[in-house]
Amino acid sequence: MNTHNVLDIRGIVKRYGDFTAVDHVTFAVPRGVIYGLLGPNGAGKSTTIRMALRIMLPDEGTIHVLGEEHGKVNLDRIGYLPEERGLYKKMRVIDSLTFFGEIRGLSRAESRKRSGEWLEKLQLADRAMKNVEDLSKGMQQKVQFAATVLHEPELLILDEPFSGLDPVNAIVLKDIILDYRRRGHTIVFSTHMMEQVEKLCDHICLINKGRVVLEGTLASVKRQYGQNGVYVRMTGDSSFLKSLPEVASAHDHGNEVFLRLREGASATGVLDAARARGEVQRFEVAEPSIHDIFIERVTES
Amino acid sequence: MKVNKVIRREYTEIVRRKSFVISTLLVPVLMVVFLMVPILFGKMEPARQYQVAIVDQTGLMGVELAAALSDTLPDGSRKYVCTTIPADGERFDAEREARLADVRAEKLDIVVAIPASVLDDGKADYITRDERSFNVHERMEEGLTDLVLKQRLAREGLDYGRVKSLTTRVELEMNQVTAAGAVEKKDMLGEYGVVFAFTMILYMALLSWGMTISKSIIEEKGSRVMEVLLSSLTPRDIMVGKLVGVGLAGLTQLLVWALLGLALSSYGAANMMSLLAKVQVPPMVFVYFVIYFVLGFMLYSAIFMTIGAMCATDQDAQHLQGLVTLPMIVPLLTLMLLIQSPNSGLAVGLSLIPLFAPMMMLSRIILLQPPAWQIALSMLLLVGAIAVAVTFAARVFRVGILMYGKPPSMRELMRWYRQAG
Repeated sequence: MNTHNVLDIRGIVKRYGDFTAVDHVTFAVPRGVIYGLLGPNGAGKSTTIRMALRIMLPDEGTIHVLGEEHGKVNLDRIGYLPEERGLYKKMRVIDSLTFFGEIRGLSRAESRKRSGEWLEKLQLADRAMKNVEDLSKGMQQKVQFAATVLHEPELLILDEPFSGLDPVNAIVLKDIILDYRRRGHTIVFSTHMMEQVEKLCDHICLINKGRVVLEGTLASVKRQYGQNGVYVRMTGDSSFLKSLPEVASAHDHGNEVFLRLREGASATGVLDAARARGEVQRFEVAEPSIHDIFIERVTES
Repeated sequence: MKVNKVIRREYTEIVRRKSFVISTLLVPVLMVVFLMVPILFGKMEPARQYQVAIVDQTGLMGVELAAALSDTLPDGSRKYVCTTIPADGERFDAEREARLADVRAEKLDIVVAIPASVLDDGKADYITRDERSFNVHERMEEGLTDLVLKQRLAREGLDYGRVKSLTTRVELEMNQVTAAGAVEKKDMLGEYGVVFAFTMILYMALLSWGMTISKSIIEEKGSRVMEVLLSSLTPRDIMVGKLVGVGLAGLTQLLVWALLGLALSSYGAANMMSLLAKVQVPPMVFVYFVIYFVLGFMLYSAIFMTIGAMCATDQDAQHLQGLVTLPMIVPLLTLMLLIQSPNSGLAVGLSLIPLFAPMMMLSRIILLQPPAWQIALSMLLLVGAIAVAVTFAARVFRVGILMYGKPPSMRELMRWYRQAG
């Protein structure tokens, strides 16, 4: 196996009775990248993450973490942010952070010191002695980030970190993630929010119905899909576009339509057809956004 | 050792909680209040004077009764200010009515009317307005009985003092043969109290701490804290950390109670409060209490932990917790049976069953020292049951802590058990 890979997952399977939540998923996360795990709700992202963290064990397949066999790796080298909450409600903020640092191998004193520093950094120092439940939701989310990165893990695994986040905290989290990569650490996060993927990720893995649909660097995925995409914005009814002979598939964004053309088809024919029906405001041959790739792959499979 | 961090968190988070501080201090206060209030009320009889009129048809006993009622108040004055009205023959009823009028007019508190027939039928009247003090009534009754007795004996030509000394009651002293063969003096009433108190304390402690554990697991599941814990701790660390942390919190509370109880009973002894001084608990009982608390706690907490791991909500857990409280109630239901014959086959048998042993064997130890082998066997069986329960809990825990749906059926539960094996 490749020792450059921080996370190497091969053919893992997880079944719940008759239902297969994760079906032979394979992907590898190189060191020092931001890796996006994409997929609709219920695709098996969280289950995959839980198995990567050894919270649950796969029925089949192997997982290597930080170059070591699963089960032998020191879990203190990993940081994990679960999908929602993940804090003791009735505990003081500072005690809560200190505890999470401690169970990840920090000494009590060190953990307390770092907790204080993080609260300072996140402008929550005055809430240190408050109970977690007395903080606003946004503040709780910040405390959660701090709890996840307190012990400086080499591998950060975040499950849907941007869902339910207000815009300000989304920036705080984004900065934490970018800062983390700058220092050579690796971040894996799951999401169904495509904008984040586009802006942040180096690598992506698209999972649908428990299977990997697409995997690779963001650039290669886009290149692979970028040859024959067209964005059209025009006045009048644009629904006829999808029945044009050149068009393989269409996705209506409302004001705009994204069209995928058939292999070898010319965009000019589409432009002419559009101009015949109305005023064309935008016509662009472009690589599709991850959003469109995502929708396309998910709806076709 | 990460498990130490879990222990410390569980312990400190419980101990610094307001509900813990309140219950730790409030329970002993309530106990004292329940014990003391009746005593205090008894003592708090108002230090007042009673205006008593004794209407006397016998011509002799009125004066003697007045003399007998020589009780004094704390300030040295007489408690009963008696006026004797000799009223022979027909005048008796008229005088009685006249005094009654005085009672109505609040010039008098009590009228005692002694008819001449009292020597034969032993009946006299005690009339009062709103005086409900049984002590006063009893005092008068006793005084008059004594006088009537004296008269009757004199009539028969017998000496009062002599008869009295000859008719003293026999005191049947309570003794018990212990396991060691020695004979010990016993105070039954005090013992019942101790058995009852210890059983109740143990019952409440096991139940409430078991529920605490069950609830905290459900909370951690709900808040996804459990996933964070599991990403850096083994299920074993979490389980052991909880058991030990919560157990220590329970012991802390019991220790505070024991110290307060000790202080109280020595205060009671020093202040001659008979009821409290009577309750003498041998130090060994406390040792056994701690042992059985720890063993019972481990057993029941393992069960409550299993329930917590199985359920996603408190409502789901309540039904199952209800089932677990059933075996806990058995020792309470059979308590009277146990007290009456602590050595019967049924009592011995029940007190060996691990689910009942903590409460029932402890009760038997307080009542009579059972043979050492029975105590040893009960502990051994408990340890065995704990091993089974903890193993089962650990396996269900592994699978269950990540289940957020409805609680599993018995069959699913067994599948979890095998799955985790």
